[in-house]
Amino acid sequence: MNEKLTKFRFFLDYEKEEDWVNDMSKQGWHLISFNFNYFTFEKGEPGQYIYRNEMLSGLGAKDQSKEYIEFLQQSGVELVQRRFNWAYFRKNTSDGPFELYTDTSSKITYLNRIYTLFLFLMLVNLLSALTNLTGLFDYQIILGSCNLTVAILLFIPFVKVKKRRDHLKKNLDLFND
Amino acid sequence: MKQDLPPLTEGVYYILLSLYEPRHGYGMIQFTDEMTSGRVKLGAGTIYGAIKTLLDRGWIKAFEEDGRKKEYIITDKGKEVIEYEILRLRELFDNGIRITGGSTK
Repeated sequence: MNEKLTKFRFFLDYEKEEDWVNDMSKQGWHLISFNFNYFTFEKGEPGQYIYRNEMLSGLGAKDQSKEYIEFLQQSGVELVQRRFNWAYFRKNTSDGPFELYTDTSSKITYLNRIYTLFLFLMLVNLLSALTNLTGLFDYQIILGSCNLTVAILLFIPFVKVKKRRDHLKKNLDLFND
Repeated sequence: MKQDLPPLTEGVYYILLSLYEPRHGYGMIQFTDEMTSGRVKLGAGTIYGAIKTLLDRGWIKAFEEDGRKKEYIITDKGKEVIEYEILRLRELFDNGIRITGGSTK
């Protein structure tokens, strides 16, 4: 058994989280599982893997993402772990560069998926906050404040994703890909 | 109708070319990598989405199952699209060479 290490980290930006996981790998700590904000690493050869995370499409359409994961695996991509619609993949560094999305239009499609999800969750929490904060019971103040906090926390990555997407869209004015 | 087709992305262009012979997803990635000497690397997520779209458009179709890997092949409609694209590229190329006299490198 190789040495293991578990770390707790909270990222608002999923790209920063991915960068961190890749930095850990460069130091010889390879992600083998995650549970919300707990990340478990296994000691290995520094820089052996490139990691990518992805928000899989459709929570309801489970079969479709299963088919997608199988497709990735057949293309030589290893699934590290999947929890709900959040997944980590990795590939050996020696296989060359590893990106899931390589052209502008597919990157935009992916960002739109995240954008819609963040927007939806933000609106649900805002609406819930509004209902609770104007409610009659004491506990609703606490619930409402929690909803408001979540909505505010979601707003930060939401704006980042929107910026990334809009930047890519501008590229399409000049470039075909 | 074909006159209205916008330019294909490099990815779609090479996916269609690769499917003149039946190939699965990974085969398309390798073909593209080889044809462009590593310049165009297709991500698995990108190619998965492209396959779905091309199937919807009827430009490619499922060939037969090779174990668990699905193989695809280009359709007649897909061939028309790529032939039109090649004409468009030739026009771009010819005009470019005529005006600039070609690359000096």
